[in-house]
Amino acid sequence: MLTRHPALLVVAGWTLFNGLLFALLAGYGEGAVAMWLWAGSLALLAGATAAVLWSVRRGPEQHRRYRLVTGGAAAVLPAAAGAGLLGLATVYGWWMAALAVPVLALAALLALAGT
Amino acid sequence: MTLTAPGRDRDRGRAPGGRPPSRYPSGRRLLLSTDHKRIGLLVLGTSLALLFLLGVLALLMRAQLARPESGFLDSAVYNQFFTIHGSGMIYLVMTPFAIGLGVYLVPLQVGAPNIALPRTTLLGYWLYATGAVIMLAGFATPHGAHAAGWFSYPPLADGRYSPGPGSDMWVAGVFLSTAGVILMGWAVLWTALRKRAEGMTMLRMPLFSWSMVATCLMVIGAFPALLAALVLLGIGRADPSVFDSNLWIIGYQHLFWFYGHPVVYVMFFPYLAAVGEVLATFARRPFFGFRLTVLSLLVFAGLSMSVWGHHMFTTGQATNDYYSLTSIALLVPAGIEYFAMLGTILGGALVFRPPMLFALAFIPQFLIGGLTGIMVGTPVIDYQAHDSYFVVAHLHYVLFAGSAFGLFAAFYFWFPKVTGAMLDDRLSHVHFWLLVAGTNLTFLPMFFLGLQGMSRRIVSYAEFDGFGTLNLLASIGAGLLAVAMLVFVYNVWTSLRWPRPAGDDPWQGQTLEWATSSPPPRLNYTPEHPLPPITSYAPLYDLRRTEDGRAH
Repeated sequence: MLTRHPALLVVAGWTLFNGLLFALLAGYGEGAVAMWLWAGSLALLAGATAAVLWSVRRGPEQHRRYRLVTGGAAAVLPAAAGAGLLGLATVYGWWMAALAVPVLALAALLALAGT
Repeated sequence: MTLTAPGRDRDRGRAPGGRPPSRYPSGRRLLLSTDHKRIGLLVLGTSLALLFLLGVLALLMRAQLARPESGFLDSAVYNQFFTIHGSGMIYLVMTPFAIGLGVYLVPLQVGAPNIALPRTTLLGYWLYATGAVIMLAGFATPHGAHAAGWFSYPPLADGRYSPGPGSDMWVAGVFLSTAGVILMGWAVLWTALRKRAEGMTMLRMPLFSWSMVATCLMVIGAFPALLAALVLLGIGRADPSVFDSNLWIIGYQHLFWFYGHPVVYVMFFPYLAAVGEVLATFARRPFFGFRLTVLSLLVFAGLSMSVWGHHMFTTGQATNDYYSLTSIALLVPAGIEYFAMLGTILGGALVFRPPMLFALAFIPQFLIGGLTGIMVGTPVIDYQAHDSYFVVAHLHYVLFAGSAFGLFAAFYFWFPKVTGAMLDDRLSHVHFWLLVAGTNLTFLPMFFLGLQGMSRRIVSYAEFDGFGTLNLLASIGAGLLAVAMLVFVYNVWTSLRWPRPAGDDPWQGQTLEWATSSPPPRLNYTPEHPLPPITSYAPLYDLRRTEDGRAH
């Protein structure tokens, strides 16, 4: 599986290499905070490896045919604006989060409509 | 290559016979396009604009430090300037520019018509841009912008010691920008791993695309730690008692540096690889030691995840032996990459065009940054140099004398491909020499200032400290850098205003993007500009050699 899918080999190998260094750090007796932190990162990398595994089982390693994005990207601006309002809500109070709700709802509607 | 259903995507290529496409896209077509090249241009353009803005802050700081006991800047303003300069250059300039290069180039280099997840990539850009605006808007608040340094350790950065909305806006802005960069990084990684054209095996990907694989693995593995650190800081700003516990103070440092060291390589690998591609092109030979260099990039990236604690040696609460060991081990992959670059030059017939000059300057200058990094990665030296100007010199040799020269090598190299126009060679040379002189005049004296005991982040110093002459030299160097950047802007502006056509392949490039038109069409490769046979990581070099063989 790994040799037939070099993309998977790269991500899985890199995750394993991180795991090896993590184990070495554990051997040095590093504190719990650092170990939990790196374990969290390893979980993310394991998730990325799983995503690549899922993808290589479904599609070819290289492409002759490409499926392109068919919808527009109008939802992106309100989504970013909504995220910005949520960010500002942490500064100026949670009432700003209420402003973000309709903006994010608009983004969701546009995304669903594919415009 | 077959393409299916571009459908309603409004910015795709125009039908034959219609109005010819404008040379430069504008308005909605640019801002909401899902074309990776336009998203890439948005990222690159925004980060370059911020480079100038944040560079002005540095110039003002150097004016303050030029003379002892200067009152040019108020200490509160100075603190805001070094914080926004440092954090902006890292979160908003060098990192996004590196990822933006990947957004633009990786699909072209792997023969794909677009990036994977284009709308996610576009959302990533807009989050980054929104974050940048929020972060910089802190200057307009009553207490001013954030002033606790780019890593903003608590308790200094908590609500008690850094009050005011400017600091909260910094937290929100950095969070949004970093989230955007993570989205873009994921899209670039997926493109390289899963969107390669037929014939483009992993080991036929060019060095730059490989560097983006290593870079984006670090982005997805390490950058979420910064988001967690910012959440912790946000909570601590709302309730400063959180940081009464040493657990969260040290915990914040771990979270921050788990991101903070890999980000240095995120700001380095793409530029190193760009330099590698420039060296190979202008040495008229394939990159020397390609496979070993690819392996070393992956090992380098892996090791970089394990060295974060060397930033915390002086806390006495990190496992110094381990972090020192892994930090010094970085020399091995770095050494391989350096030998590969030197091997490429030594075996080649060098052509000294502007991108090559920047690439050649990168090699010794980055070496200074790298070797001093190994020095401060050793606890006994770090205890002495910590928080001194030695560290400021080291990081600027890495990020400016190294990465920024790689950035300019990339800029001069790919500018003709992106715009279809050539830059002026004479002005490019002036820019280069001013930049070399300014860089070394600015940052070299800082090593000696650090060794003499000058602390970083100080707004002023006394005459009897004896720092005056070296600081004056550094400030003169900063002035040279400013002039160099003005020459650069003028060169870019005149080249776009009165373009001299570049042709498809002005440099005799070796990778796929040089086979298509300049600028590339909407879907990158067309029947008029088809993908050439992909025979290696330098397919155009192979093609040229085959044609030369036939001619003879």
